[in-house]
Amino acid sequence: MSHPGNDTSATVPRAAAWADDGEIPPPAWGRRDRRRIPLPWAFLLVVAALIVGKPLLSPYLTGPALQTWATIFVAICVQALPFLVFGVTLSAAIAAFVPASFWTRALPKRPAVAVPVASMAGAVLPGCECASVPVASGLMSRGVAPSAALAFLLAAPAINPVVMVATAVAFPNEPMMVVARFVASLVVAVLAGWIWLRFGRTDWIRVPKHAHAESKFTAFLAAMRHDLLHAGGFLVVGGMAAATLNVVVPREWLDSVAGIPWLAVLTLALLAVLLSICSEADAFVAASMGGFSPTAKLAFLVVGPMVDLKLIALQIGTFGKAFALRFVPLTFTLAVLVSALMGWVLL
Amino acid sequence: MGAAVSRWSQNLVLILLGGATVWISAFTTSYLNYVKAGFQPFLVAAGAIVIVLGVAGLVRPAAHEHAPRVAWLMTLPVFAIVLIAPPALGSFAAERSQRPPEPPQNANYAPLSASGPTIMKIGEFMGRAFGDEPEQLNGKVVKLTGFVTKAKKKDQWHLTRMSIACCAADGYALHAAIVGAPAPKLDSWVEVTGTWVPPKWKRMPNGFVVPELAASEVRAIETPAEPYE
Repeated sequence: MSHPGNDTSATVPRAAAWADDGEIPPPAWGRRDRRRIPLPWAFLLVVAALIVGKPLLSPYLTGPALQTWATIFVAICVQALPFLVFGVTLSAAIAAFVPASFWTRALPKRPAVAVPVASMAGAVLPGCECASVPVASGLMSRGVAPSAALAFLLAAPAINPVVMVATAVAFPNEPMMVVARFVASLVVAVLAGWIWLRFGRTDWIRVPKHAHAESKFTAFLAAMRHDLLHAGGFLVVGGMAAATLNVVVPREWLDSVAGIPWLAVLTLALLAVLLSICSEADAFVAASMGGFSPTAKLAFLVVGPMVDLKLIALQIGTFGKAFALRFVPLTFTLAVLVSALMGWVLL
Repeated sequence: MGAAVSRWSQNLVLILLGGATVWISAFTTSYLNYVKAGFQPFLVAAGAIVIVLGVAGLVRPAAHEHAPRVAWLMTLPVFAIVLIAPPALGSFAAERSQRPPEPPQNANYAPLSASGPTIMKIGEFMGRAFGDEPEQLNGKVVKLTGFVTKAKKKDQWHLTRMSIACCAADGYALHAAIVGAPAPKLDSWVEVTGTWVPPKWKRMPNGFVVPELAASEVRAIETPAEPYE
């Protein structure tokens, strides 16, 4: 109740009310707070740049490399936006309308048991990785153990029904690929959850606080807007990185490594990180990689939904740098090892 | 601007982004350059929700309104859409694209009519040519649509169509090699009528193989609204 619902003058920096935001954006980006000018000058500048730039710059922005880059960049943003909107809506709805007591009742008390239960819940809820980051953050801010929320974060985009169907369609002659993907992803999610439970520290995660003293609906909209602006900005970073790699890395490099088994697995795992393709689409991309072994393709399918540039950016934006610095290498290592093992056993 | 994006600016950024999304998906067909046709309703809905969210933020502000500076990056896709107007993937992307997937082994293609050209996708042409019964193509006149790219072999050029699984980021190129006609301008869209040229090899060689089509007619066409197969 420290900030009344009708205070909107926005002339005083509210560092205290949103102390959790102090780490993001990183200190280097932060500028000292000044009194805000009531007019949205920066936005007017953006609009002016668009209006002036259209006739002045457009005739020069026609190089094929630049256009291909822009097509891929816009495609990633455009394709991810509906999933992101769905994800932040779900997460904000959880934050605003579902009482905290529900989660403590729905999930087992002991975090060690809650981790596999939350992982299995990922098999039921469709949604891609962009959506699962804000949902997991919403779960944490409602009192779910971080280890369980993280297990859900890893499992949901990897083993949900939509992704399983897409994988089956992409590999019509290799039904074991679907099984291997499901099992490997589930194992990685549970292991990562347990490892985080055992070794993780709470101060590594910045748990966003959604609860504020306002009408539920206003709080819902505010949480949704906040998450969308956060995650959306970082999605753009990931989209730019993926587009750059798509246009810059020569394909011949990839073809020449397909012949060496361990290098092929590692390469496709890294490629999954770099390309940042949505988990609902990555099976088709994996299937199209002619020369690579099934195990390497499995690594691509297991790593992609759990670790990629776009996700790393989203995780930094949502949970903070200290978290991503530890969680990303942990998941990547687990995902590569488990897929190599599963590929050896099942494929 | 201070450390955070002001309430006005963040809501206006949302309206701008939502507006651009609705514009490319509901009022033009340019969304087809980026995603599949079936994705349109989701794009329109997402764009509309983002606009509503922005408008609601201006009309009914919450107590604490701020966003990190990274939110400004959400204007970049709008800049790309307005200033570059990214076209469908063309020969630049096709040349960099990975090999197409293995041709479908057990696809059930309908029998081809003996009279008149059969309009066919390049993917189907490849599938028939490298499938179980390539002889069905013998002597049949087919009509393919695509854009012009360079071929590695002499005296031919490629008729190319990009195929996307989900969005343009995963696009890969499908090719048919056109023989017996001079190459039109690179990246121009054409409709080629012709007959399949049976390959000289008995077993499909490893690596990148493209089925050949002996062209009887090459006609320039407008870029189709739906550029991908």
